Amino acid sequence: MNAWVGTILRVDLASETITKEPLNLKDAHDYIGARGLGTKYFCDEVGPKVDALSPENKLIFMTGPLTGTGAASGGRYNVISKSPLTGTIGAANSGGYFAPELKYAGYDGIIFENASDTPVYLYINDDIVELRDASGLWGKTVYETTDLLKEENGESFKVSCIGPPGENGCLYSGVLNDKHRAAGRGGMGAVMGSKKLKAVTVRGTGSVSVARPEKFMEAIIDARAKLKAHPVGGAGLAALGTQVLVNIINESGALPTRNWRDGSIFDEADATGGESLADKYLVKNKGCFGCSIDCARVTVVPDGPFKSSGEGPEYEAGWSYGADCGVSDLAAICKASFLCNEYGMDPITLGATIACAMELAEMGAIPEEDIGFKLRFGDPHAIVHLTEAVGKNEGFGKILALGSYRLAEKYGHPELSMSVKKQEMPAYDGRAAQGMALEYATSNRGGCHVRGYMTSPELLGVPFKMDPLVTEGKAATLKIFQDLTALIDSAGICLFTTFGLGLPEIAAQYREAVGTDETDEEILFKGERVWNLEKHFNIAAGVEKDTLPPRLLREKLPSGPAAGRVAELGVMLAEYYELRGWDKDGVPTTEKDGATGIKYEAKVLCDV
Amino acid sequence: MKLKFFATYRDFTRCKEADVTAPPDVWALLQHLKGQYGDAFGDKLLTSDGTDIGCETIILINGRNAGHLNGKDTPLSEADVVSIFPVVAGG
Repeated sequence: MNAWVGTILRVDLASETITKEPLNLKDAHDYIGARGLGTKYFCDEVGPKVDALSPENKLIFMTGPLTGTGAASGGRYNVISKSPLTGTIGAANSGGYFAPELKYAGYDGIIFENASDTPVYLYINDDIVELRDASGLWGKTVYETTDLLKEENGESFKVSCIGPPGENGCLYSGVLNDKHRAAGRGGMGAVMGSKKLKAVTVRGTGSVSVARPEKFMEAIIDARAKLKAHPVGGAGLAALGTQVLVNIINESGALPTRNWRDGSIFDEADATGGESLADKYLVKNKGCFGCSIDCARVTVVPDGPFKSSGEGPEYEAGWSYGADCGVSDLAAICKASFLCNEYGMDPITLGATIACAMELAEMGAIPEEDIGFKLRFGDPHAIVHLTEAVGKNEGFGKILALGSYRLAEKYGHPELSMSVKKQEMPAYDGRAAQGMALEYATSNRGGCHVRGYMTSPELLGVPFKMDPLVTEGKAATLKIFQDLTALIDSAGICLFTTFGLGLPEIAAQYREAVGTDETDEEILFKGERVWNLEKHFNIAAGVEKDTLPPRLLREKLPSGPAAGRVAELGVMLAEYYELRGWDKDGVPTTEKDGATGIKYEAKVLCDV
Repeated sequence: MKLKFFATYRDFTRCKEADVTAPPDVWALLQHLKGQYGDAFGDKLLTSDGTDIGCETIILINGRNAGHLNGKDTPLSEADVVSIFPVVAGG
């Protein structure tokens, strides 16, 4: 039925009641799917002031209309809830093979309500849907849980689950599927753990049909050909993965170093980059469902103190454990990154939280006895040890599990948390790329690089070049990128398709799949609607204003092409709000709400 | 002048860095590199008609993209560091 399979599973974990309800097709039309549709369901059902780790919060798994259809890189879903880390709407996006399987079983999404008293997992085998005892899985890692569920139910089952940090309330624990693919940011794993929900495992034997099969086939053939032909979406990411960015971001003077304290040039960057990874530890690359980009790394550190194996590291993890912690030992970076997947934690936040702790420790703000050893920048053993400590909820790891903002606040220096809305910014210095500064400040889920990705035009020249040091034109471009990203995330395809595709190719696949004759611009506008709804939720939730850490606003970069610069947020922010049709405080105006059709008031007035 | 090569371009140069006498501008540097490392590398560095910096190449002069300076006409000096990449992305 027009790219959807038509059913939402609603699972009350308290009463163990499972109901199958028809997909809200009106909302699916208006909010696309995945991130957008899940957010719409969430905002309609949950008050913005809800305690994120209380039973009253809900947790939504939502696929998109292109998920499982054969669209280019169309295998994704979002996990949506209120974030315990940021207090914002949380929407974490993941690939792999889990989401298409859910649709093939006959379900577009799952809404989890309330909490179980004892650990459970959701078993889905086409029409058979059951909550099952997960006592034997509680305490197991992501890898162990996945293996045990496959052993119990069959190799063809796909698994999405949490590790011990999700059970223990780590505020940046993720939901991981297919072992290595993460709905990683914002602590969706902690919400799942608070509900005593360990995993979802699914097997589906059905299929997804699209509205106009022949035209849809033409659209995906066109899209796939363009991706293959692009130097990044084709051979580039397959060869060196995302970690290839280390050197170009560093050479551009935008690689934040030692908790952003020492500017943004890391002298030992090359030792941690994608070239070194390929030379030393890369076994092969691999891809997600329906994807030709194949950017994932299968990696083995064969010997030495950091002997390990896994997938990754991706660029952001390579940075957080590398330059941000001042560590140049690639083997240690690999192992720390692998541990994040194994335990189910966001490596951006965890690496950046360790970097923050390193700065606090060096300045004497954290007593050595609290940490248990002398913590300093550049220590490869420390990043692995502390990652394990968070994973096992041991010692100083219990404090690190709260993220850098709460850590820095506890020790008297909240200004040293390099976070926005309490979520850590990733691997691009906004002082050296002004559009990224605006992107971080305005991201609806706190510090994040994939709510627009201004890095691409500013530092990589894709799909066009923008001077990273100027502010002119950044607000307008960012708005388009944010809306387009919301469209992509909601459609159920991968953001990396923009390394080869633009709005016309993405809109064409959507149009033929769902059977609409809407224009490209009308389809993009749905992304804007998603963005506005997220903003409404955040305002009603009382999330702090759009700003940046004082270090970016006041401390000038010491060297490199952006030497002497700070993030010039004020001028860009005012222009951005105006372009969005929001007032000077960043609140959507009545006129804008009229255009988007958003009526966000009901749950504000009756907060749970 | 220091040259730095990255990503798959190291397959052409077989080295990460090289020191050269500074040519007058980026255009002259590209011609030098084509002569030094071969036509296949030159094809990557230049547009198909051979008249400008190729769209699959990023050239940074002291960290600034040549496209934000004077393009192929950007002057070079001995103190400059020039970093040369294929177009890359990720994140």
